[in-house]
Amino acid sequence: MEHTSPLERILRGIALTAVVVFFMFPILWIVLMSLQTNETILRSPPSMVFEPTLSNYQAIISGQLTGNTATLEIKFMGNLLNSIILSVGSVALALLLGVPAAYAFARHKFRGSEDIAFTLLSFRFAPPLLVLLPLTIIFQQIGLADTYIGLIWVYQLICLPLILWIVRGYFEDISPDVEHAYRIAGHSWFATFRHIALPLARPGIAAAGLLAFIFAWNNFIFALVLASADKQPVTVGALAFITASGIQYGQIAAAIVLSIAPTLALALYAQRYLVEGLSLGAVKG
Amino acid sequence: MYEKEKGLVEAYRRGGMNRRTLVKSLGALGMSASTAAILVNASATKALAADFDWKQHSGKSVKLLLNQHPYTDAMIANLDNFKELTGMEVTYDVFPEDVYFDKVTAALSSGSSEYDAFMTGAYMTWTYGPAGWVEDLNEWITDASKTNPSYNWEDMIEGVRKSCAWNGQPGGALGSDDAKQWCIPWGYEQNNLAYNTAMMEKAGIDVPTNLDELIEAAAKAQAGNDGIYGIGVRGSRSWATIHPGFLSGYANFGEVDLTMSDDGKLAAAMNSAGSKDFHAKWVKMIQDSGAPDWSTHTWYQVGTDLGAGKSAMIYDADILGYFMNGGDNAMAGQLAYAPFAANPDASAPTPNIWIWSLAMSKFSRDKDAAWHFLQWASGPEHGLFGATQMDFVNPVRESVWADAGFRDRLSSTYPGYVDMHDVSAPGASIKFTAQPLFFDLTTEWAASMQKMVAGEVPVDEGLDQLADSVNSQLKEAGLG
Repeated sequence: MEHTSPLERILRGIALTAVVVFFMFPILWIVLMSLQTNETILRSPPSMVFEPTLSNYQAIISGQLTGNTATLEIKFMGNLLNSIILSVGSVALALLLGVPAAYAFARHKFRGSEDIAFTLLSFRFAPPLLVLLPLTIIFQQIGLADTYIGLIWVYQLICLPLILWIVRGYFEDISPDVEHAYRIAGHSWFATFRHIALPLARPGIAAAGLLAFIFAWNNFIFALVLASADKQPVTVGALAFITASGIQYGQIAAAIVLSIAPTLALALYAQRYLVEGLSLGAVKG
Repeated sequence: MYEKEKGLVEAYRRGGMNRRTLVKSLGALGMSASTAAILVNASATKALAADFDWKQHSGKSVKLLLNQHPYTDAMIANLDNFKELTGMEVTYDVFPEDVYFDKVTAALSSGSSEYDAFMTGAYMTWTYGPAGWVEDLNEWITDASKTNPSYNWEDMIEGVRKSCAWNGQPGGALGSDDAKQWCIPWGYEQNNLAYNTAMMEKAGIDVPTNLDELIEAAAKAQAGNDGIYGIGVRGSRSWATIHPGFLSGYANFGEVDLTMSDDGKLAAAMNSAGSKDFHAKWVKMIQDSGAPDWSTHTWYQVGTDLGAGKSAMIYDADILGYFMNGGDNAMAGQLAYAPFAANPDASAPTPNIWIWSLAMSKFSRDKDAAWHFLQWASGPEHGLFGATQMDFVNPVRESVWADAGFRDRLSSTYPGYVDMHDVSAPGASIKFTAQPLFFDLTTEWAASMQKMVAGEVPVDEGLDQLADSVNSQLKEAGLG
C-alpha cells in the first residue's frame, strides 16, 4: 500500500487548491460580478466586499435593461431559448444522420467512401462567410431564410463532420469479432448495429455529441447572417448589453452565467455516461 | 379628449402657443408630461396629414434593420403615430452595435431584399454607394409628389447634410453639386470636451481652450487628483481612434489626411510639417496624461472611465459625455461640456462628426413606401419628439435645436452642452477625404499612432513610414 506522509498530503492539497483557484477564478469572478451593480464593479480599486443584488438576473429575465439614459428592451431569454432549439435540434439531427454514416464508413468499404468522408470533413475548413452569402440567396429563394429548420440545416456544417469523424474512430476501434459473433447467431446487420455497435460506441457518441453541442452553442455567425433578430442565439444576444450609452458589466456577467449553465449541466450529465461507457469497455482487438 | 385639452392642442397647432407652454398647460389640467407629449405628437401627426397624401402606401409594409441605440428607441416609441398616419406596417430587426455592421454588410452584399431601409454611418456609404447597394435619395427628396411639403430638407444642419452626400469620385468633395445623397442624417456626434467639474476644481484649473492648454490641463488634473488620468481619448488599432478628438483637433490646424493633385490623384498628407507638430503634441499628451492602457481604449473605455471617475476629461463624442452624466455612473451629474478649438488661432472648433443616418436598400421591393418611412423618421416632428421626450441627441435639424423646451432641458442637466453645440455646429462636418480605402488607411494611421505612443518609432519617422505605406496602397488601388 502506498504511503504518503502528512506533509506530502498537505502540499498536494495546497497544489491542487492553487490549480483549482487558478482555473476557476475567472468563473468565480464572473459569478461575483453578476451579483453586483455596475457602479460597484467599476470601483477603483476593485473589491470582493459588496452588497449582493439579483437585479442583473431580474433585468435579464424580465427583459428590461436600465441603461445610462433609458430602459431598453432586451430579449436575452428568447436568445437563450433560440440557442437551446438550435443546438439541441442540430445535434439531434447530426446524431441521427452521422452515427449510421460513421458506422458505414467504419465497417463497409465502398467506392468513394473516403472521398465522401473527406468532403464532409472539408465543410469544417471553409470560412463560414464564403458559404453563408450564397446560402442567404438560396435560402430566400426556397423559403428557408429566417427559419429554425434552415438554421438547423446549416448548423450541420458544424455538427455533422464532428460527429461523423469522432464516432467513426470509435467504431473502428471496436473489434468486429463481437459483431460477427452476433451476426452468426442469426441477427441482422441492423440489429447488430443497434444492440452491439451502438452500446459499445456510446462513450464516443456521447463525447462527439457533447463536443458538437458546445460548437453549435458557441456559433455566432450563422444565425447572425441568416436570421432575424428574433432567432438569434445567446452569442449574439449577449452583445446587446454593450450599448452606445455604456457597458452593463453586471448584466453581461449574469448573461454569461445563464448561458454557460446549460452547457455545464450537459457536460456534467454526459461526463457520467462517458465514465460509465468507458468502464464497460468491451473487447479490444 | 376633453374640450379644454382639445382647445389647447388646437391652439398649439395654429401656432398660438409654443410646445413648452402647451405641455405645461396640459400638465396643469392633470395630464402627465409623457401623455401630453404623445398627445402633442399625435396632433402634429394629424397636422402633417393635412398637406400630403400619407396614405398612398396604406396597407403596405416595410422592414428595417436597426442598430441598438437610443435613436432607435426614440423611433420605436413614436412608431404608432407613423402607422396611424400612413396605414402602413413597420417591422424591424434590432442588432447590437458590435455585430450590426456585419449584419448590414451581409444583407447588402448578398443582395437580400429582406430589409427596405437601415441605419448606417456616413463613412459606410462610401463603400455601399459605389457598390450599388444603396439608393441615391435625391430622387425622392426632390420629388414633390413623394415628399411632404413640410419635410424641410434645408432645415438639416448644412455640414451634416452635406457630409452624407458624395459623388463617388475618390477625393470628391462631400456635398458637391453632383453628389449623391446616399443617406439621410438622423442623429450626429460632434467631438468636444466633456470634463469632471470637481476634478478640475480640485486641481485648480480652467477649462482648456486650445491644444497646448489641454496638454497642460490634463497633466495638472492628473497630478491634482489621486488615482486618475488626465485625458481620455481613443487608442485601439481601429479607424475609430482617428475620427473623434484627434481628427477634430487636426483639422482645426488646417491639416488634412490626403491631398488631391490636379489630375485627381490622391497622396498622403500625414507627414507634412504641421501634421508632424500636431502628432508630436498629441502623442506627448497621451504619454504624459492618457490612460495607462490607452492602446486598448475604444468608445466604451473612454466613456466608462469618465463616468466612473477614472479620468478628468475626454476629447471625444459629445454624446458620450452626455450618456456618462446619467444613469448609475458614479460621476452622474458632475460632468460639464465645452467647445474645443485645438488651434489657438482658429476662430471656432471644427469637429469631425459621426452621423447615424438612414439609407434605403437598393434591393428594397417597394422603395416609395420605404421613403415614406424615411421622410417621417428624419422629419422635424419626429426629431422634436425624440429630442424632447427621448434621448435623440444630437438632433440634426436646426429647428429642433431652436426649440426652447429642448434647450432648457439640456441646459438644466448638462451644463454647457447647448453652448458647446451652438459654437461648434457651424464648423461640424466630416473632415476625411472620401475614398474607398478609408477604413484600411485610417486603421493603419491608428496603428502608427500606437507605435509612436509606445516609443517604438519617433513621430517624424513614424509619419514618413505611414505616408509611404498610404501612398503605395493608393497607387496599388489606382487612386494615387
